[in-house]
Amino acid sequence: MSQLSQPSDESPEPAVLDEQLVAYLDGELSPEESRRVESLLASDPAVRRRLQGLDCSWQALDELERVPLDNQFTRTTMEMVALAATEDLERNRREKPRQRRRRWLLAGLSLGLAAACGFVVVWFAWPDPDRQLLQDLPLLQRLDEYRQVDDIEFLKMLAREGLFDEDRTQH
Amino acid sequence: MLEVRDGSGAAFERLVQRFQSRLVMVLEHLVGNRDLAEDLAQEVFLRVYRARQTYVPGAKFSTWLFTIANNLAASALRSKGRHHEVHLDLQDTGPWKARPLEALLQASSGQMPARQFDKAEMRDMVHLALKSLSERQRLAVLLNKFEGMCYADIAEVMELTPKAVKSLLSRARMNLRDILQPYLEHGESPAAESS
Repeated sequence: MSQLSQPSDESPEPAVLDEQLVAYLDGELSPEESRRVESLLASDPAVRRRLQGLDCSWQALDELERVPLDNQFTRTTMEMVALAATEDLERNRREKPRQRRRRWLLAGLSLGLAAACGFVVVWFAWPDPDRQLLQDLPLLQRLDEYRQVDDIEFLKMLAREGLFDEDRTQH
Repeated sequence: MLEVRDGSGAAFERLVQRFQSRLVMVLEHLVGNRDLAEDLAQEVFLRVYRARQTYVPGAKFSTWLFTIANNLAASALRSKGRHHEVHLDLQDTGPWKARPLEALLQASSGQMPARQFDKAEMRDMVHLALKSLSERQRLAVLLNKFEGMCYADIAEVMELTPKAVKSLLSRARMNLRDILQPYLEHGESPAAESS
């Protein structure tokens, strides 16, 4: 907040005062700030002189020479833009088949990737009855022999002795 | 601008006609060269045309235009190595003869005696006063004075905060006042004052 923004008996710093005066001239102050500036202007001739100085030098900028541009500038600008637009169109036309090829290739790759992902997901997630059968095949092949032995502990002992190792390696 | 966005060449031509003089004037004061200013203005219009699809309805066209112009002018000055900013801080400098403005004045018209208020001379004085500002101050002044832009719009063009613009414009106008007031009140040029 500037010093002028706060009610004060002391005069604000010249730089702060000028900043507020400029903003006042530009209509960029709030109504409250404008009122403070106006009351300062009404009471202090030095502030009025500062404001006048700022305003006069600002008005003097109207003296700057303004050389109007003729139709030639408009015409050359439009020609330049038309040429650029034609070049853009030509470039787009040239790029189109390449872009189309790139799009098809990208679509094909995406499709292949999606198919591979789908296969992997289905392979792991879908229960396959044949997989279990294959796993149990050695047991099924010798099921009749195993049934003749009533004691499971005896079977485990035979397994530890290596009786079934030959079968396992065969499978 | 909406018609331009939809591809109307006639609308774009109207836009060029409406803004070309204003744009060239601002650019000329920024780069200090009429031909370069015209080239840059054409480049600005070309960029506007190419970017027309990105124009957002409701956005202020002049703000967009002068943002492009500001960027182009800055890069043109950088690339051509003619970025010699003449900063004149009147509060911190000594007598007139030590200030850059005197050099500008002497370069343009030699030792100027106190003389009658003259329109051409006045124009030269104002031109030199404007030239003595930093580039940022000058751009803020030009946008505020000739484009009637508020602080918020200037801030958008210059990528600053409105508060910074307020301070920038204040310093610029203090400098202008300090340079021009002696001339406006007594017809004294800074050079005459120092001699």
